[in-house]
Amino acid sequence: MKNKLRLLHMYPGVLDLYGDSGNVEALKYRCAKRGIALEVNAHELGDSSERLIENADIIYLGGGADYEQQQLADDLTSMKGAIAAAYERGAFLLMICGGYQLLGQYYKDSNGKRIPGLGLFDYYTAASDKTDRCIGNIVVETELDGEKYKVIGFENHGGQTYGVKTPFGRTLCGSGNTRGGEYEGFMESGKTNVLCTYLHGPLLSKNPKLTDYIIAKCAGAESLKKLDDSLEEKCRAVLLKRLLNE
Amino acid sequence: MKLYQMGLIALGKALNALCRLSGHDAGNFPGLVLWSIDKNYLKCFSVDCPIIAVTGTNGKTSVTNYLSRIFSMSGKKIITNSQGNNLDTGIGSLLLKSCDMRGRVHADYLILEVDESHVPQVFKHLKLDTLVSLDFFRDQLDRNGEVETLILKVQNFLKNNVNNNVLNADDPNVVRLCPKGKNAHYFSVEKYDGATDELYEAGEGKFCPFCAHRLEYDYYQYSHIGRFKCPNCGYGDVDPEVQITSLDFENNKFKINGETFSSKFMGIYHLYNLAAVYTTAKLYDIDSKYIKKAFATFAVNNGRMELFRLNGAELMLNLAKNPVGANMTLRLLNREKGEKELLFVLNDNVADGLDVSWIWDINFSVFNNVTKVVTSGTRAYDIALRIKYSGFDEGKIKPIPDLNKAAAEILSTPGKKFAIANYTAVQPTRRALKAQIQRGERK
Ligand SMILES: [Zn+2]
Repeated sequence: MKNKLRLLHMYPGVLDLYGDSGNVEALKYRCAKRGIALEVNAHELGDSSERLIENADIIYLGGGADYEQQQLADDLTSMKGAIAAAYERGAFLLMICGGYQLLGQYYKDSNGKRIPGLGLFDYYTAASDKTDRCIGNIVVETELDGEKYKVIGFENHGGQTYGVKTPFGRTLCGSGNTRGGEYEGFMESGKTNVLCTYLHGPLLSKNPKLTDYIIAKCAGAESLKKLDDSLEEKCRAVLLKRLLNE
Repeated sequence: MKLYQMGLIALGKALNALCRLSGHDAGNFPGLVLWSIDKNYLKCFSVDCPIIAVTGTNGKTSVTNYLSRIFSMSGKKIITNSQGNNLDTGIGSLLLKSCDMRGRVHADYLILEVDESHVPQVFKHLKLDTLVSLDFFRDQLDRNGEVETLILKVQNFLKNNVNNNVLNADDPNVVRLCPKGKNAHYFSVEKYDGATDELYEAGEGKFCPFCAHRLEYDYYQYSHIGRFKCPNCGYGDVDPEVQITSLDFENNKFKINGETFSSKFMGIYHLYNLAAVYTTAKLYDIDSKYIKKAFATFAVNNGRMELFRLNGAELMLNLAKNPVGANMTLRLLNREKGEKELLFVLNDNVADGLDVSWIWDINFSVFNNVTKVVTSGTRAYDIALRIKYSGFDEGKIKPIPDLNKAAAEILSTPGKKFAIANYTAVQPTRRALKAQIQRGERK
């Protein structure tokens, strides 16, 4: 098991809406409790980060305003080869909202203009009517190492993502990839090192098993030391009761 | 005046009277009814005096209250929405209460707090004399759309629709509303000892709105408020008309243009509010003695730096609708030298914007001498988790969703306490604290 992990946070300077920096904080906290040091590096617009990508165990992209995403589509596509190679060798891609959209084929904005994505996966995203954003609490049931797990978060996206064959999970409450849809996010079948989702909250704040899943995959650990998650469990119980009448 | 417009006014007034008869505060309701009949109903009113509006993400209720107090003290007749009904419909309801049957509003000044997204809508129909713009932060994104769109909307509107702009010289999101010109009146506060060289809290406005170059800062006062400049095109190189100087945090004193003032509170963001108040009052030739008196004695007491005391416990409650607001209170907490406790009440109702992920943008990395944290509200566990993940000892966090019990817990021991409550949580928190104080005093 590795005792040091490197996380590359893409564009934290511009993609910093919705408290997504909390995902890094949650990873760092739960790594530290297992004696794993999490080194966090940043890639900003225009940086040359080939080495950082090459060495990264986790590549992380958060959400941001639409205006900002246009600026960085070009920057990101210039690193397509490096990111694809990192993914091939097993680096974990954690992609939230804008990050999720940018890994697909393209994003079609409300004027019909296509912003090309990285094209790593088949899906694509189209903007919906400005008044038709998917906003609200969301619960997604996913499977982590064969075990069902309810992931709780908050979605806020105008884009609708189509062409996903292997979603992150089934939507139990909320919209997911498309308004009123049945499925949420993207995971590649046969691969355990990618997670694309619309979930903020931030994603890893209330889903400790998901956080540990990512850490275990990256550290190459069969299992991780159990932590006292009683506070997390109480938080989850309150929300699941409210959202799913459980 | 057209019959139609008189009809609308009459209807609104009748609704107002009905609400009063049934013992309810009308609130936004009459305005909402008129708005649903005619989106442009505000044009039915004629206002014969200057209108001063206060907008921005944080501080508008405080600034509006200070201005109203100062103008009233100087003998002026004021109409104001001091209860914070700051949307189009709230302002309409206020005018209905104040106008005659022909829609005429008589006063010396209208001093209005206006939600930043409603400025163009409201002042399309009412002539705006002065707009005071305090700050623009990420807030209630779901309702307003993104910050950028919002600023562009206000910026466009202001080109032709205002006589004076009172502007925070240290907020790049505000200066751009009126970067030059003789109707711009800038205010500022000198660098204080809590200012930092690097951005300490999440903030916006990192890039120049005119040339997209990264902005450079001499220092940050808090969040993205600080002495900034665009090294490429010079944006931000403005000359403040009013600057608060000689900050004395020990004795709660400062200077403006050589004159000494004292203040009940000395939080850095509060000083920016006072600078805005001073600049605006001076624009209308209000005598300094009234300003001095208000700064020294007046407190808004509406969950804005409101003090509660019980058996040696002293608690300061502060509203926070976003990370900036919460960080402001944490700055005060960290300045306090001894031990203290924190109560954080977090709701996720519609008016709160539903999404609570902003709490992860609050900077808890410095948490000096905090011995206990009580969390409450519909999202008591979310905020408890957020504080846990910042590294604070989990054993010292008590999530108590029931607000009355949480108030009892935080006031159960003597000492310094701070409380943060978000938008829909602030009034219930005040009530719970007051009820607990009553119970405690009876004992
Ligand atoms: Zn510039």
